Amino acid sequence: MKLSTEQFNALEHELDSVKQQVQQQLGDADARYIRRVLLVQRLSALSGRVLMVLGFITPWLWLAGVLLLALAKILDNMEIGHNVLHGQYDWMNDPVLHSKRYEWDIACDAGSWQRTHNFEHHTYTNIIGKDRDFGYGLLRLSNDFRWRLRNLWQGGTYLLLSMLFQWGVSYHELAAQRVFAGKKKADRHTQVSDSELKKAFFGKGARQLVKDYVFFPLIAGPMWLWVLCGNLLANLIRNLWTSTVIFCGHFTKEVYAFDAKECEGESRGQWYYRQMLGSSNFTGPTWLHILTGHLSCQIEHHLYPDIPARHYPAMAKQVHAIAAKYGIPYNTGSFVKQYSTVFGRIMRYSLPGGAKAVKAL
Amino acid sequence: MLGNQPSLTLYFLPLLQRFWPGFVPGQYRAHLVAKQWQTADMLQLTFQVSGRWPGFVPGQHLLLTLYHNGRYISRPFSICSALSLWQSRQRIQLCCKINSPGEFTPLLNQLQNGAVVNISQAQGDFYWQQPAAPSVFVAAGSGITPIAAMLLSQRHWLAPATLHYRVRGTENAALLKELKQLADKQPLFTLLLSDSLTEPAEMLQQQLCADLNNKQFYLCGPQTFMQQLRNTLSRHGVPAEHIKQEQFGLALPAATTDLSSTNNLLLSANFIRAGISTAVMLNSQYSLLQSAEQHNLAPRFGCRMGVCFQCVCDKVSGQVRDIRSGALSGHGAEQIQLCVSQPVTELVIKL
Repeated sequence: MKLSTEQFNALEHELDSVKQQVQQQLGDADARYIRRVLLVQRLSALSGRVLMVLGFITPWLWLAGVLLLALAKILDNMEIGHNVLHGQYDWMNDPVLHSKRYEWDIACDAGSWQRTHNFEHHTYTNIIGKDRDFGYGLLRLSNDFRWRLRNLWQGGTYLLLSMLFQWGVSYHELAAQRVFAGKKKADRHTQVSDSELKKAFFGKGARQLVKDYVFFPLIAGPMWLWVLCGNLLANLIRNLWTSTVIFCGHFTKEVYAFDAKECEGESRGQWYYRQMLGSSNFTGPTWLHILTGHLSCQIEHHLYPDIPARHYPAMAKQVHAIAAKYGIPYNTGSFVKQYSTVFGRIMRYSLPGGAKAVKAL
Repeated sequence: MLGNQPSLTLYFLPLLQRFWPGFVPGQYRAHLVAKQWQTADMLQLTFQVSGRWPGFVPGQHLLLTLYHNGRYISRPFSICSALSLWQSRQRIQLCCKINSPGEFTPLLNQLQNGAVVNISQAQGDFYWQQPAAPSVFVAAGSGITPIAAMLLSQRHWLAPATLHYRVRGTENAALLKELKQLADKQPLFTLLLSDSLTEPAEMLQQQLCADLNNKQFYLCGPQTFMQQLRNTLSRHGVPAEHIKQEQFGLALPAATTDLSSTNNLLLSANFIRAGISTAVMLNSQYSLLQSAEQHNLAPRFGCRMGVCFQCVCDKVSGQVRDIRSGALSGHGAEQIQLCVSQPVTELVIKL
């Protein structure tokens, strides 16, 4: 560890006080903001679905419809769903925007997401062997993993994963629990039985499929094929976008990974430290932050997963200054720069060798 | 299915609320038409209620929801007005004790005439079940509200009824004027005021026990007060089914008290919220709801006294005590209400 125990405690204190300042001012402005995003999401979903049917007037209307539906799905998944499911708006006591009630427009069941993402990924961020989000069990992203033949074509695997990202996310927990294939791992703590996992996976998945590929095409009458293809395209756009944003959060060039042993019995300050090293930000205009659900501020999101995300850009300035004060690397850059290092990483480790992401703390 | 929400109304809620501000599914709109101080701290609110509201049985309560600084907060209040006011003019009255350091009731005081609040359906099973049998009502403090509604609503008096109204100083007796008018008009009704500043509780108990003959008892007041009365009545042979009661408030310390300054037993607990576990130390004197809020965990809540079941969540392990009854839970996984549960052992709870 590069910092002393006293420094870790001081770091904890400083990062906590950044959180407290924001917590004290949560109120009307946050409620108005998230309701406005929700309203835009609902309006773009409705108008998108209507415009697709109006594609018989001119295909441009169909295209506008596809883009609006994709926007609605992205807003629902990122700025609304992901953040609401983190409990960022639980304090509102709202009938819709609550982590226990919200269900999102994606194949993954909200409960399964909360277990794998909120718990596993956010608690054990980038700990090799514990955070299955580091490579999703499909990609070799550092030399901490043995090279296998299948890694040779992982560029193609990555492209496929991105295109089908919602299904990858949905299947994530079932893969971890070896529900269909593989030998059960003795050290995995199971909260939910395999049959419940299967029920949630097939139930939610089927509802999504029926909605986008049966119900809406059916009520479109003669335009059914246009609507079906439009929905497919909107889902594809959403998948590619979410996958790209999420890969930029933890797999950039300078990101750290950790060894399970190093993290045993860590203090809150050390946990903060690990979250900062294991995440990376990217910069951009406000609309970009909103479309990423503010995961462009992945570092702040990992430090404060339950603070309404619209505060992250302002908090980032403070966190960056604190990082500089303690000499902690703060990984940020433009979207293009960060993404190119992610892509470089995927390609580099498709070949044997390379450097380890686990660096001695 | 289409909107991924439990109902399409909830899916369209952001749109509906644009055109119909304050609309919440399952709740009813009520306009404040008058505000009047009954005593120094009891505020009587008169509401014009939406015609869709299904009505009430005198003695029942409702949840009043306010929208304040971005959040919905609710508390239960008994309806204190007569049924006839609702039937003739679609109005109800609530009598609310305003606690100035509290979170909720000061907001009631700030409401202006014309303000719109949300109310739930009337609920609760505290009502005058046998008006044909001689009845004794005992109300303490704000416990008068449901009992006043029962008495003022009664049209055809069949048997004698006595109200023992216990207050701290007669100037603090809310709804006294209405009850006195009823006593003057209705020979079967007797109003007995009992001032706790001058009369000890034993006197009231003796009065009650003087003539127990086949009477129905209706009690409403603070928890300790009712527990004592109930014990006394049981000792004198009143069967439990002849005693009906409604509980007001919980005996909890104010949540603003500093946790570390009290010398109470501290227990460790893990709250799992949205999948992430938070380890905290709990003071055994506080409700789990208070503790979770003090640790900024923002659990869902409603009435904060065990009525509305909004704060129900899964206890994974550990034992809790029901603050109202003192009953201990099991040690395993079960559902508990955060607002009426105190920790007994170490706990793991999914919020």
